[in-house]
Amino acid sequence: MHNLLSRVNNISAFLSSCMMCLMGAVALSSLLYTADPKGTLTIKSASIKENEIRYYHRKQEMGFVGFKIDADLTPLFHWNTKQLFVWLEAEYTGSDGVTNEVAVWDRIVRRKEDAYLKVNGRQQYPIKDMQKTFNGVPAFNFTLKYNLMPHVGLLTYGEAARADGIPYNSTSRHI
Amino acid sequence: MSAIFGDALEAKIDFHGQALVELIAKAWLVVAAVVSFVVGWWFQSLRLTLVAYGASTLILAVVVLPPWPMYNKHPVKWLPVKEKPKNE
Amino acid sequence: MFSEELKSFRRLGFRHLLLQCLNFASVIASGLMLWKGLGLITNTESPIVVVLSGSMEPAFYRGDLLFLTNPAHERYHTGDITVYQVPGAAIPIVHRVLETHDMPATVASVDPTTPARQYLLTKGDNNNADDLALYNGLRFLERGHVVGKVRGFLPYVGYVTIAMNDFPQLKYALLGGLGLMALIQRE
Repeated sequence: MHNLLSRVNNISAFLSSCMMCLMGAVALSSLLYTADPKGTLTIKSASIKENEIRYYHRKQEMGFVGFKIDADLTPLFHWNTKQLFVWLEAEYTGSDGVTNEVAVWDRIVRRKEDAYLKVNGRQQYPIKDMQKTFNGVPAFNFTLKYNLMPHVGLLTYGEAARADGIPYNSTSRHI
Repeated sequence: MSAIFGDALEAKIDFHGQALVELIAKAWLVVAAVVSFVVGWWFQSLRLTLVAYGASTLILAVVVLPPWPMYNKHPVKWLPVKEKPKNE
Repeated sequence: MFSEELKSFRRLGFRHLLLQCLNFASVIASGLMLWKGLGLITNTESPIVVVLSGSMEPAFYRGDLLFLTNPAHERYHTGDITVYQVPGAAIPIVHRVLETHDMPATVASVDPTTPARQYLLTKGDNNNADDLALYNGLRFLERGHVVGKVRGFLPYVGYVTIAMNDFPQLKYALLGGLGLMALIQRE
């Protein structure tokens, strides 16, 4: 500490330890916020159409969906919330008996003022199976999920609403 | 190195001053971290926490980095140069 | 200019030089040990990665530090953020999972203790289209391509490495300076 250089060196070393502790404390503090908001999800329409995947130039069946979301996610915003990633997931058991999860719609919420979701929308990403057809798929479960991304610390996930057992094949099937 | 930088940039302080600087810096940084955490928490703003901590660190730099007179109050007292015993 | 340093260097002698080299080596070795140990615990080859592109903005910016885990038995779900590297790609990519499709038992390994293997499709939050074009001809990602799942996040700390990549002179200056200081320091 006798000259300027060694003072700068010592103090900045201690400063960086303090910063690390401060960031650690901030990351830990977000564990105290355990809000688990719930909303409603209504599936208005669900249909299957044959469509072309441009990338492969091949035709296959795709699932389309119209939905309504009413969910107040404002409780998730606290001092360490950077943004929410909200998405609508379609989960189904394929004809070969395996689990599939597909995101059909997503939105990034960056401000608390925008966190009351009232969405009347359609899918952004049509549902595509590994098979070319959805024959033998009994039903789809839709879930509204969110990923809370902090300024610093751990990513957390949650579920805000769900609509189970939406039969796709029976609603409408125009090819 | 001293030849390059010169005494003004060296900003030397005495031993008591060094102990004092160390004490001030450590206490300051820890207390400021706690205070800015609490303030940011209270106002629910991480930005406030960082601004408060940054500002307090700048003030700390002004307090401890320059060789203020209070860090040079106890200059080392060297023993007087002994006269070489003259040949009898 | 450095005559003073050279003089002190000569005074300290050969033993001192060796000792400094040993110190330097031990610093590097313990760093490597920590890194590899962390990789062993989290089961991923690189447990900490720096974000290199802006394709996940506003979630991650260039220079953000990500902490990964990759437990062997864990399933991936939509919304998880993965780091993956497909064969032939120069750098790992950080993107979010858009689709998961389990492999039918006939394709996946017959070993029942391992969970069903999955096909994954990813997309960057800031990109308009999914990552098909980035897969170098693959239709889907498989577990083998995935380096890990993002668990934690520290902003901007990794920017130093990006700065060093963008301005290589900085890297050499830093390395040279560190090496010189390690050799000359008298403590």
